[in-house]
Amino acid sequence: MQGQAVQSAQLPRRMGWKAFAVAALVLALGAVAAYALQRELRTKPQAPSAAAAFTAGLAMGEQHAARALSAEEETYAAALWPIHSQVKLSAVRMTFAGLNYKIEHNDAARLKATVEPLTRTFTDAAQRARRIQPPASLADAHRTYLEAIEHYTDASRIMIRVADDGREEHLITAHKRSEQASHELLKLSDVLWPGEYKPN
Amino acid sequence: MGTTAKGHKRDAERKPVSFITRDMEEPRMRMWRVVKGAALSVAALGCMAPLASQAQQYSVWLVENSRFMNVPYGAFMPDRAFVPGSTSKFNNINTVDLPVNVGVIKGMVNGKLEVVLADCGWKQQDYLKMTGSAHWAPLPDQLKLLGISADQVTKIVAGHGHWDHAGSLSDFPNAKLYIQKKELEGIEWALNYPHPRISATNVSPGGCARTPGCGYPPKTLDEIYGKVLSGNAVIVDGEMEILPGIKIHPAHNAHTAGSQLLEVRTGGSVGTLVFGSDVYSSWQGIRDWMMANPQSSADTAQQFLAYEKCYKLTNNNMGNCIAAHEPASYTKDYPITSNSWVGINGSRMAEITLAPGESSKKK
Repeated sequence: MQGQAVQSAQLPRRMGWKAFAVAALVLALGAVAAYALQRELRTKPQAPSAAAAFTAGLAMGEQHAARALSAEEETYAAALWPIHSQVKLSAVRMTFAGLNYKIEHNDAARLKATVEPLTRTFTDAAQRARRIQPPASLADAHRTYLEAIEHYTDASRIMIRVADDGREEHLITAHKRSEQASHELLKLSDVLWPGEYKPN
Repeated sequence: MGTTAKGHKRDAERKPVSFITRDMEEPRMRMWRVVKGAALSVAALGCMAPLASQAQQYSVWLVENSRFMNVPYGAFMPDRAFVPGSTSKFNNINTVDLPVNVGVIKGMVNGKLEVVLADCGWKQQDYLKMTGSAHWAPLPDQLKLLGISADQVTKIVAGHGHWDHAGSLSDFPNAKLYIQKKELEGIEWALNYPHPRISATNVSPGGCARTPGCGYPPKTLDEIYGKVLSGNAVIVDGEMEILPGIKIHPAHNAHTAGSQLLEVRTGGSVGTLVFGSDVYSSWQGIRDWMMANPQSSADTAQQFLAYEKCYKLTNNNMGNCIAAHEPASYTKDYPITSNSWVGINGSRMAEITLAPGESSKKK
């Protein structure tokens, strides 16, 4: 009996220990599960599957869709286009004049002979562009366009100074102006001639 | 040998003294020869092992710099033009999304870190609307995910000079540009051609109509010129090995006048990779021998010859031809790129091979 009493007294103690162990285990598992769940919820939006990203891309593509121009804006864009074509062509020719100078001939007189006519092309383009009246919605764009041509004109004038003093730093200064103009043209093209550059 | 008196004497001195009969000697000699052969083989392998470990090894990733959305399949690959109601796998897809892929090759060469880019994508976000692009991310930020900073890039091999392949050169100040002489000559030829429909960089608003100069906006050419001005350009005329195991191959007129391929012998189990820029616009095109991304400055025959070149360089493992705009990129349908994950702004990246000591960057 005494033995039984001792046994029955030890049982709740053992049960308590077991219950504690089980409870601790359950708690630990719960904590792991909660951490995993929280981690899953946190990382999923950051690292979606390729398929999900693919679908999301369609929405992003739509967000970047070009705004349709009004009739007035279309007329302005159409009037500016021939000038724009001339400006772009001259800009690229100016770049090639510099490239050829550096890569091929290193002849400053030849560089000057190539670039000087381009200065005239730019000033002519600026005059023609000033004669076009933009709609109010594109007044800023028009101003930016004129500034871009101005930068190209400056670039061409700076470039030919190499022929005067032989200092190639002029090419670097001219290049910076040209880059600025090119970037502005690109921004305007995005508005005025969406689709000007296709996937290539 | 053995003809001198001294030699004869030596031979005489070496005359074997043995009690073993000829019959007994044969198996013993055979055994000796086997043992000697095995020892020599082990020695040879031992000598070759250090050589093998010395072979240049590179890690290679592919990065999606942006994605052109909803491009009509027929505009990209004429043989895959959509036919409504068609059940042919070649004609039942209307539009595709085309990644703009950039190759990233990294290795230690003679103790110096070399990072080579095969193309460099673009950075002017103004192209986004024009081209219906999505998932664009700045390439320097994408490289950070691979543990590479922009100033660690040492070389950029422009497969050609189009805006979406040579458009972010100035983001990598220390990188040397490699471009074919023929590429520059081709652009200039078009610019100076007397007929305005050919010389124009674009012939009509809203579409470049694939004129020879249409893919080269002033901004991109300024980027190329910037590299030349800073003394960071190599004008390549044909083939050139730029690092051990990394070689440029010309693919003139295969997409543009001066297109070029980049062969990379990785030194790892993946073997040789060939980055084709837009000459390999579509990997499925190489697999199925179909032209892709037609240009007025290109020649279908040259594109096919460039496909053949990849088969040759990879020992007929065309899975290792790396395409710039393959729609199946980063999926199991283009196996070499399937070890992929999603990076910045939904753009994708793939880990192709890792050099010893390089840890995986896959998230």
